[in-house]
Amino acid sequence: MRRFIPGSLIIILSGFILFLLSCTPGSCFEETESYLKASFYTEVGTTKMLQAPDTLTLYGLNQDSIIYNKKTGVQVALFPLNASAESSIFVIIINGVTDTLEFRYSSYPHLISKECGYTFYHHLDTEPLPKYHAIKDIYTTNKTITTLNGENIRIFY
Amino acid sequence: MGRTYAYSISLLLLLTCNLIQVQAQDTIPIPLKIKVGMEVSGPAIYYSDKNILNAEGYISVDLDEKKSVMFAAGYLNYKYSQYNYSYLNRGSFIRIGIDFNLLKPDKSLGKYWAGIGLRYGLSRFTSQVPFYDKEDYWGTTSSSIAQKTNWGHFVEISPGFRAEIFRNFSIGWSVSLRMLLYTGTGKDLKPVYFPGFGDGTKTVNAGLSYFIVWNIPYKKINAIIKKEVPEESDDKSDTNANATKSNTGTSGSQQQGGSIRP
Repeated sequence: MRRFIPGSLIIILSGFILFLLSCTPGSCFEETESYLKASFYTEVGTTKMLQAPDTLTLYGLNQDSIIYNKKTGVQVALFPLNASAESSIFVIIINGVTDTLEFRYSSYPHLISKECGYTFYHHLDTEPLPKYHAIKDIYTTNKTITTLNGENIRIFY
Repeated sequence: MGRTYAYSISLLLLLTCNLIQVQAQDTIPIPLKIKVGMEVSGPAIYYSDKNILNAEGYISVDLDEKKSVMFAAGYLNYKYSQYNYSYLNRGSFIRIGIDFNLLKPDKSLGKYWAGIGLRYGLSRFTSQVPFYDKEDYWGTTSSSIAQKTNWGHFVEISPGFRAEIFRNFSIGWSVSLRMLLYTGTGKDLKPVYFPGFGDGTKTVNAGLSYFIVWNIPYKKINAIIKKEVPEESDDKSDTNANATKSNTGTSGSQQQGGSIRP
């Protein structure tokens, strides 16, 4: 019996050590931005093939900050939608030809984690609306816009 | 007649004494208890951090020397705030389940418990997000999520240890491994933290609990101690012993059969 009690105390103390070790604060490592992901396709005859534009410029209408500035090799463009509004309009310049692209959507909050907090997910309510200058056609593959990787629209130019 | 009666009584007493002696060799008296426990780390944490108040108590009733049923109830008032959101959750929870003592009766003696508990938990909570901010390309969006009440369900495996340090007074701890079954909040607005379970953004959660327990003995039972069967090292002596047994205990025909074999 006397041999048993010290053993039990060791186990109880080990519990306290476990408790102290468990009190480490966490950090945010998850993706917090939910972008609309657009892939670029060209049409060669009747064949449509995945191809990055030679240059791509992208920015929000009436915004000073440029998302892509004559960037080359952009296979998938990331469009940040405005969670405060029900639509976002972007100016997109593909190989020097300017177009505008409007998205209409609804936004809703999504908890990423305790450490990261909340972000907004979006749901496209309509098909994207281009002016059809640089963009020949557009096609929605997934209306739900989340932080996960996955194509949402295909832009044919 | 009187002598016969006295003789019968003596014989009965003798048999009873023998029976008690046999029982004393194979069993051990174990007190079955009703245990009333209180989780102490919750109030201790609240003392240093006023944003988390977790209070929990339980009642456990020993069914035998190995098993006991338990019922726990608790309350949580949780407040969390960081640079981009704040979160409130308040509610209560219950746990019901069964505890298994893995110690042998001669080690536990009704005082020590090292085992595992299996529980089902049910939580009713009201959560609210007074504000959250999201900064992105277009600027900062601020919003809030209104107060809502939900029910959470979870299961729990809880290995742990208890030791009676004073008469009818135990302390101990347990590690709780919890698996979330349902929160009722949907996948987008999972609870940051909810009563009885903890971090609601994770499907599997772990926690540590520390208990002080008041034990109330209500019954004594004799628990059987399983004696270890001594290993028989000498095969020859074993064979000889068996042979002796069979010679003395078997019928004549079997003895004849044994003698016929080459």
